[in-house]
Amino acid sequence: MRLRLAIVACLALATAPPVFAQDAARPPEAVEADVSTRSVSITSSFTGTEIIVFGTVENSRQPSAEAGTYDVVVVVEGTPLPVIVRKKARVGGLWVNAESVRFASFPSYYAIASTRPIDEFAEPEQQRKNEIGFDHIRMVPAGRTYIGPADPRETIEFREAVIRLKERDRLYVMAEHGVIFIGRSLFRATITLPPNVPVGPLTARVMLFKDGALLSSYQSKVTMEREGLERFLHDSAFDRPVLYALTTILLAALAGLAAALAFRRATAT
Amino acid sequence: MHVYLPIAEMSASVLVFLGLGAAVGFLSGLFGVGGGFLLTPLLIFLGIPPAVAVGTGAAHIVASSVSGAYTQFQRNNVDVRMGVVMLLGGLVGTYVGVEVVRMLRRAGHFDVAVSLLYVTFLGVIGTLMLIESIKTLRSPATGKPASRRHSGQHNWVDGLPMKMRFTRSKLYISAIPPAIIGMFVGFLAALMGVGGGFVMIPAMIYLLRMPTAVVVGTSLFQIVFVAAFAVLLQAIQNRTVDVVLALLLICGGVLGAQFGSMAGEKLRGDQMRVLLAALVVIVALRMAVDLVVMPAELFSFSGRL
Repeated sequence: MRLRLAIVACLALATAPPVFAQDAARPPEAVEADVSTRSVSITSSFTGTEIIVFGTVENSRQPSAEAGTYDVVVVVEGTPLPVIVRKKARVGGLWVNAESVRFASFPSYYAIASTRPIDEFAEPEQQRKNEIGFDHIRMVPAGRTYIGPADPRETIEFREAVIRLKERDRLYVMAEHGVIFIGRSLFRATITLPPNVPVGPLTARVMLFKDGALLSSYQSKVTMEREGLERFLHDSAFDRPVLYALTTILLAALAGLAAALAFRRATAT
Repeated sequence: MHVYLPIAEMSASVLVFLGLGAAVGFLSGLFGVGGGFLLTPLLIFLGIPPAVAVGTGAAHIVASSVSGAYTQFQRNNVDVRMGVVMLLGGLVGTYVGVEVVRMLRRAGHFDVAVSLLYVTFLGVIGTLMLIESIKTLRSPATGKPASRRHSGQHNWVDGLPMKMRFTRSKLYISAIPPAIIGMFVGFLAALMGVGGGFVMIPAMIYLLRMPTAVVVGTSLFQIVFVAAFAVLLQAIQNRTVDVVLALLLICGGVLGAQFGSMAGEKLRGDQMRVLLAALVVIVALRMAVDLVVMPAELFSFSGRL
């Protein structure tokens, strides 16, 4: 990072016309950021959590926190997973799933926070390139597995449906003023992970914009794993299903028998 | 207080699910029914994925039927031989049912199939019960249920081969009808997460002409094992048994059932039957509305499979 900054600075010096030499002598802005938690554990008492993404604009030329010289976008994304989207249609008076579209990958979680609405400072092309905003979430349709009339507009409808449903479940979240500058260079954003967040590693990206151009970006990983009893139960169900099922049956039968015996004793006395 | 459900993959309020278990347990104690037909739809209404609701419901049935089966067994009200024949059919039915669940889930039609089954069975049975119980209520003098056993009368069941002697039921009949009844009930247990008493008990009385005294005990005996087998297969094939959810429901359920049966002793039987029938019809109608009325959201998505 340091080295790259140095190279960029040298290049800027070397290529800048002499008239701007004084300006170019000031090192360019860069973003340095981090995440409050590098690992999120899903335990039996997990009811959602918050992670704070904070950072600083190096060599900030912003006179104050309110000046709005820079725009910062924070994106926290979950693991890309395959998704089947189904659309209901009326068949013989009943609403049943008729058409379906498969996506080879769709992020399980997507939270975006920015200093102001992204359309105000980033061109659509810029948004697309950096995958910022719900319209630019990376989704890969699984080519041949598409079922139904082959109309690409239909795929868009299915794509929008996933975004709508994920938004409803608070798994796709947009905070248009979620990034706050605390001083000339320090900023922070709070990202909420809801209780139903799909378990898997997260990627946090921080992008620094000025006058619609991307100046610098930063990326980091946040692990998310099941822990303790929760992990034990989930692993048992998937790795040792027979033992898991027999234990469940035994517990259920014991609870039923215990109740029957306790009740009889209670009525007998 | 919340707890994270490992299979349903959601955070759930402990009180809500304990309360649901207790409420369903109370009703099942009150009416003397398994309660699976109420539990599965209510779990679905509360946001539990239908397949998890059905798989976990089977664990709840193990708990709620085992105490009844134990009591009936001690009173010698279980025809073990008949129960085993039905159970063998039941295991086959459960196996087929769990495979059907897997296929339907893969095709994306499981939710609709579950609703359709519920609407059909609960609708028909609830309506029949409602009509009969209202008739009984209106004419208490003649309201005695008609004699169920017509000795000397023959039907098609008597013509079947593979006859077996069922001493406890005082029957000498073919093993095929009980096995088929068991098979059908096992199929329903896998698909609907119900014990199937509402199908099995009438079939045992009217089709097999078993003495009423052993009908309840024998059906409970069979249900315990079929439900346990359903839990095993659902856990292996579909990974849809949530042990945390099951324990919450069972803890609430076994307590609720005791209070329910205490309350049941103080109420008149014929009035209770009207209430139960009305409840069954309401559940069926509620599910029918969801099938017929255009949903607010036409799209749905699933990650796995």
